[in-house]
Amino acid sequence: MTTATTARCRVMIPAQPQVLWGWPAVANFVLGGLGAGWYVVAVLAAGFERSPGVTVASWVAPVLVMAGFAAVAGEAGRPRRGPRVLTRLRTSWMSRELLIGIVFVSLVAADLIFPLRLHRAQAVVAASLLALAQGFIVRRARGVTAWDVPIVPVLFVLSALLSGGGAYLLVETGTGRPLTPTTVGVGVALVAAAFVAWGRYLVWTSEDSFVRAVAPLRATGSALVIDGAGYGLPVLLGLLALATPATAGPVLALAGALLIIGQAWAKARLIRVAGQLRPITLTIALAKRRSS
Amino acid sequence: MTRWGMAVDVRRCVGCQTCTIACKQEHGLPAETAWRFVADCEVGEYPDVRRLFLPMQCMHCAQPPCVPVCPTGASRQREDGIVWVHDDACVGCGYCAMACPYQARHLVHTGSGYFETPTPSEAARAHPERHGVMTKCTFCKERVDGGVGRGLRPGVDPDATPMCALACIAGAIVFGDLDDPDSRVARLAADPRAQVLMPECGTEPRVYYLAD
Repeated sequence: MTTATTARCRVMIPAQPQVLWGWPAVANFVLGGLGAGWYVVAVLAAGFERSPGVTVASWVAPVLVMAGFAAVAGEAGRPRRGPRVLTRLRTSWMSRELLIGIVFVSLVAADLIFPLRLHRAQAVVAASLLALAQGFIVRRARGVTAWDVPIVPVLFVLSALLSGGGAYLLVETGTGRPLTPTTVGVGVALVAAAFVAWGRYLVWTSEDSFVRAVAPLRATGSALVIDGAGYGLPVLLGLLALATPATAGPVLALAGALLIIGQAWAKARLIRVAGQLRPITLTIALAKRRSS
Repeated sequence: MTRWGMAVDVRRCVGCQTCTIACKQEHGLPAETAWRFVADCEVGEYPDVRRLFLPMQCMHCAQPPCVPVCPTGASRQREDGIVWVHDDACVGCGYCAMACPYQARHLVHTGSGYFETPTPSEAARAHPERHGVMTKCTFCKERVDGGVGRGLRPGVDPDATPMCALACIAGAIVFGDLDDPDSRVARLAADPRAQVLMPECGTEPRVYYLAD
């Protein structure tokens, strides 16, 4: 028996699930994205005019965003110190998220009181930045392998647009307002692009800890909900609506519901299940036995 | 310029957890919280297996990812490199714990003790200001600062040295000024066998590990 020594990086403490950010954090990301995305989609679809869809989004979207903040505040150890969160705008995306959220709500409120295209345009920018800030909050979590990925902010923006688009579809079809083929076509293209981005995220790196962390997102159950119901079916339903305008209403309503469910599920799984703390590694030598 | 750091010789560590207990006692930590621990690691696959003990704590990184993400400014870094949390400013959001690659931050949910009611010792060392906020290893900055103020040398004089290094029965933990070339910690950090945990994270830890 002889031995050979090899020094290489080895896992000393395995990855373990993060436990500090639970359902309240998920609620913040889901509701914030939904509210922000809904407002953006509604205003863009209306060409910055004051449409009934914009009015509904203007009343509900800020409530969703604030509900998300309220949920996550309840998770904090010292929620009464909440206003202090605004003090590190230069470095912290969490500070920026709160400020942008407040600005968004203020601009939408201003638009409700004094309707102006300028207010709507500014609120669209704020809503987009809110979704981006939420993405960067997750991106800057360096201790969580599946979150510390450059494409995550893009995913959050796309997710906000998709879930917001879903809410928009539900309201528009529910109130019997027809959607133009162009709007539906753009929506289908957006869902398809988001699907590509999501797929790219799942294979972002071959690093073992990342592959293990995102494995639950690729598992059959999650894939059915996220990939199938959240991306695939809405695209098919959108194409069906374009092909058969007579049945477009209920078809698009179903697509809208699926978009919301798919994105909410994806965020919940990303935070709660794929949120694995980075394994601790050390380079050490290990003697390897060889038969002589 | 002083730059506090630590060197841990994992070849010496026997996994006794004395440093863990000394830290908990020094800082009056509640039952569910430990700012440091010794991981009992088994690496490799049979028959090529090795067991070793890895003392874990805050790495007091030169580029700490926990500091910029903090939304309240409670997470701070001193000029001498010590990373700490201002209890009165922390909102307890847990973001710093998500940003730390070394699992070194802990949210103190309650001040629970080991029994139904606090023992006299627990009551005497309770820190209600830490409830609901993030906590972490401070390199025993009170001991270090107090010692420096009295003209002592941290890492050399026991009264100015962090409790974990002082309590280690195997002399595996060495603390001192990394910028002092004559200090033991600086010499150990310069050893070719010295390494930091996960250098790919770019955090430039100031806790060095000596392993084979």
